[in-house]
Amino acid sequence: MADQISPAHADLWVRGFAAAITDADDHLTDLDRRSGDGDFGTNMVTGLRRALAALPEDPDSPGAPFQALSDTFLSHSGGTSGPLFGMWFRDFAKAGNGTPALTLAGVAEAAERGWATVTRLGSAKVGDRTMVDAIAPAAESLGRSAAEGRSLEEGLRKAAEAAESGAQGTSELLGRKGRTSYVGDAALGAPDPGAVAIGLFFRAAHASVTQGADGADEANGPG
Amino acid sequence: MRRQFVNDPEDVVPEALEGFAAAWPRHVTWNREPSYVLRAEPATDKVAVLSGGGSGHEPLHVGFVGRGMLDAAVPGAVFASPTAMQIRAASLAADTGRGVLHVVKNYTGDVLNFRIAGELLADEGVRSDIVLVDDDLATDTDDPDGPGRRGTAAVVAVEKVCGAAAERGADLPELVKLGRRVVAGSRTLSVALAAGAHPGQSRPSFELPEDRIEFGVGIHGERARERRAFGPRRALVPDMAAPLLRDLDLSRGDRVAVIVNGLGATHDLELYGLFGEVGKLLEEAGISVARSLVGSYVTSLDMAGCSVTLVRADDEFLDLWDAPVSTPALTW
Repeated sequence: MADQISPAHADLWVRGFAAAITDADDHLTDLDRRSGDGDFGTNMVTGLRRALAALPEDPDSPGAPFQALSDTFLSHSGGTSGPLFGMWFRDFAKAGNGTPALTLAGVAEAAERGWATVTRLGSAKVGDRTMVDAIAPAAESLGRSAAEGRSLEEGLRKAAEAAESGAQGTSELLGRKGRTSYVGDAALGAPDPGAVAIGLFFRAAHASVTQGADGADEANGPG
Repeated sequence: MRRQFVNDPEDVVPEALEGFAAAWPRHVTWNREPSYVLRAEPATDKVAVLSGGGSGHEPLHVGFVGRGMLDAAVPGAVFASPTAMQIRAASLAADTGRGVLHVVKNYTGDVLNFRIAGELLADEGVRSDIVLVDDDLATDTDDPDGPGRRGTAAVVAVEKVCGAAAERGADLPELVKLGRRVVAGSRTLSVALAAGAHPGQSRPSFELPEDRIEFGVGIHGERARERRAFGPRRALVPDMAAPLLRDLDLSRGDRVAVIVNGLGATHDLELYGLFGEVGKLLEEAGISVARSLVGSYVTSLDMAGCSVTLVRADDEFLDLWDAPVSTPALTW
């Protein structure tokens, strides 16, 4: 099992995330209809399709796929959730640029910074029924796992579980930010689609180091 | 049922920008991808003043690119913020090394994308700062967590005055201070007689009975919180201007600049009549109309309606207001 995120792992991570969002498009759109204006799934899928076309064929660092993802979202999305995702991906790009591989501590630091960035720019706190409700528990889990010296696989698995649980928890929350704030308790019972997407992001991270990791593992290092 | 001069509605904004640049070749150039409008002859040593926002408000903002006002404008899709990368690219193109002032109307998408652009620019070592314009009195609330007042026609005054100060060599902190002072002294109220329609759509965004007006609309075709009775303008104008006087705490002897702005489908004949009413009301209150601007500058597609903006005017403001300006939509 890989103990670091190589450029090939990062590529798998981003592609896996894109595939998961595309599979969940109808579900995310349905969730967004209950809390927003119903374009979240479609906007994410459109953004990710553009990003896949922009992915470097042979990434020279684990930051490169995230850089392409971030640049695409910041270039094509004039709304609010798209640019925030663009800035979230950007902190993973910054952590992975110019380094051959990302350790669990590196991933934890990227998530911590991304949390701060999204909070700063979106002014949403934990409990506001946004993507932050999945980001915060995942970032905290990653920080703990790194401090306790857990394996990359275990650290990412726990982060995915924490993000998914945080996303599920938004079902019980009233929205205070973004469009959800206009619909009140009509959104209760359904999780926030942005938080669900963060769950899929960390699930894809875990899958990238477990599935198809053999090839990536061999490539880990020399590339 | 409305008809419009469009080809594919998807192409309305780029086709308009292409035509705009072709019509004003001595003033502006248009960069297609990412989309932004720059001065044809960029300034060489001054803080760049840049604004942007959704399209559908023409001539705002692209019409104000030129000497004495904006160095660049970044148009989004109709009623949608430009992207952060568009703003970044326009800022890098306009920067002369002295930093970039972003004049931003207070809408969630615009604010977020300009703030992100500011962070992207900081990564490149380019200084930038934001003057947030939030003059719409109709959206004033006490909620500190709310989105705050919207930005409407006062943005023209901010762009004019900051543009003039930048031309005279003011640095970025000075421009931010000046811009925020102008914003703090500006309030606007807008009313609509009929909604506009998005390009390619035959129906307006709302219907209004003949005896009602929407009181307190913004510039995105949306309804207001209130409907009031329609009447002659001598009855409507005090309802619009009096709350502005109160909120700005204007008193006898104060000076203001007045902007009477059409929302897209209101004729100058009506606008000048409205301005006359505003002038009489201010005269009765002992407030001097130091400067005025009457016309359609900040529109909401083809909405029929108008806005009245009052801006506190001191000597510095008037001096900068009077400074030469040469843009497609404003020249003196």
